[in-house]
Amino acid sequence: MTDDDTALWWARYRAGGPQRVAPASAYPAGMTRLIEPDAGAVWLLPELPPGARPDVLDELGLPGVAVDQRGDTARVLAACLRCCWTEPSGPIWPAAPAPFDQVLAVFRAVTGSRDERALHAAVMGALRRLAGAGWVLFDEDTRTVRLGPRVAAWSAAELSTLRELWRSLPLPPPTTGSGSPSAPRAAEEPAATDRETYE
Amino acid sequence: MLSGMTAGAELTLDQLAGDAAVERLYRQVFAVLARESGAMISDVELLDVDEAILDAFADAGRDGLTVDQAVAACRPIDPGLVHRRFEVLRDYAAISKVVDRPNERYHRAAFAPYVMLLFLRRMAEQGGQAELHQLLTLEHVGVTASDAVPETGRTSINRLTRIFRHLGNELAILAAGSTAEQLGDHAQLLWGNQTLIGQAEDVHAVALDRWPQLDGECAALRVALAAYGDAVEKAAGRLIERAGTTRALGLLSVESWLSFARTASEDDLAGVLDSFVFDAPAPWFSPTLVTEAVESGRSSSTVRQPPPRPESATAPPPPDITPVDDAARLRQTAELLLRGADAVCVAAVLDDADDWLAARRALADLTAIHHHPDLEYELTWSDGLRIDIGGSASWVSDGSFRRTPPETSAA
Repeated sequence: MTDDDTALWWARYRAGGPQRVAPASAYPAGMTRLIEPDAGAVWLLPELPPGARPDVLDELGLPGVAVDQRGDTARVLAACLRCCWTEPSGPIWPAAPAPFDQVLAVFRAVTGSRDERALHAAVMGALRRLAGAGWVLFDEDTRTVRLGPRVAAWSAAELSTLRELWRSLPLPPPTTGSGSPSAPRAAEEPAATDRETYE
Repeated sequence: MLSGMTAGAELTLDQLAGDAAVERLYRQVFAVLARESGAMISDVELLDVDEAILDAFADAGRDGLTVDQAVAACRPIDPGLVHRRFEVLRDYAAISKVVDRPNERYHRAAFAPYVMLLFLRRMAEQGGQAELHQLLTLEHVGVTASDAVPETGRTSINRLTRIFRHLGNELAILAAGSTAEQLGDHAQLLWGNQTLIGQAEDVHAVALDRWPQLDGECAALRVALAAYGDAVEKAAGRLIERAGTTRALGLLSVESWLSFARTASEDDLAGVLDSFVFDAPAPWFSPTLVTEAVESGRSSSTVRQPPPRPESATAPPPPDITPVDDAARLRQTAELLLRGADAVCVAAVLDDADDWLAARRALADLTAIHHHPDLEYELTWSDGLRIDIGGSASWVSDGSFRRTPPETSAA
């Protein structure tokens, strides 16, 4: 892969977020390959040095990208973490899918009493925003939520903070009906081995 | 010889008349630009007024117009303004009386000001580019005419040389020392210059071909053309450089951009942003932020706290605020003062008191007893006055305090 191609991939990431490519395709230096559970595709996520990550903005006191309903969006992300990250001792990618209603239930437990319709709208809006930025993968037809490739950008230290959060969050209700997250372990096992890094 | 150099004296009447005619034409032509005698307009709207007046004359036919008719024809425009412009135009002889006599009311308009007006409008809209093209075409026609003499070619070439020197100088100065915005304002100097130069080269070629003796003038024209070309290159380069780095959209008018956007193909439109990379609008969620959001979400769901109140909010108000009925105390006081009698003199009561303070308190008690609705005592005052210089109360009105049994008050 030439320098130009590498630069192009970085530009694609900057413009479009994590890139989904075919598993066998070439990929540039400095990007992590995140393999989908079914091995059907690969997400390319840049490995940023510690001093160049987005949270540097916080340290510098600069405003980051604004997001609507920041609090609710973050809470929904937490609810997704609780529902999808079924094995928090392991890696966060690829987590298991979870039905929308489960996320809704956790969100309701986190936020307390709220009008049911407003609750639904808040979760739906937040999920779409998170999906747009690659934090979750939201299939609106089947109403299932998965963690997106961007969660793999969290560092080990950050993951430990998230594990604390995970433990403090209420347990999601057991899935009912045709929810698909019945095989989290099956998805978990290849994840650990599939995660490769190009040095 | 001497008289020939000092002109004037030798001018014939015909020449004078000719000069006067040229001068009159100049005055007429510039009338539309005059604010008043000797000053230029500073407001483009005045040109509209001029045009309206001249239009009115054109419509009026050969009878001409009176001032009032002209004002009426320019109806929506302020009559005072039309009057003033009318006077200015008349001062410059752009409008004159149909018959030159003192009481003539009808006026006619000269055509030269209107032509000037049209020319000005075109210049304003197109920056004189088209006029230059036409001028060059005319020059070309002039030098290729069969009856042209070398002198025609010489003046033609000289004119072109000056024109292109002017253009080149202005542009070179702008390119060297002005901002990109100023340069953009004068961008019409840049447009179509290739055809201008080409036309000028045509004239140059024809003239040089026909009159080889003009090679000096032609060389000057070539230099002027080259200088103009260089200036254009430099200015355009600077404009492109600035516009390319800043994407200063203000360099072209909004309509130009709109026309481009409407008429361009998809590829052209996409090409505009070819060299751009947009950051994905992806918000970053740090674990701290998520944790904080969850915690604040929890706290906001708790029961709403009532606003803080003072500690002893439910304690009764202090006793001294509550109204007390001191009827018993007052009755006791009254009996004490009366000492069993039915009436007692106020002066005596005051004398019994030790000092004025005590007397004053006694007097206040008497008044309170008098005014209390449940107590059967009254205080009455009469006209008498006791004066005692040495006493603590140096004068006391004649008054008595007495009990008023119900049966006596009824009687």
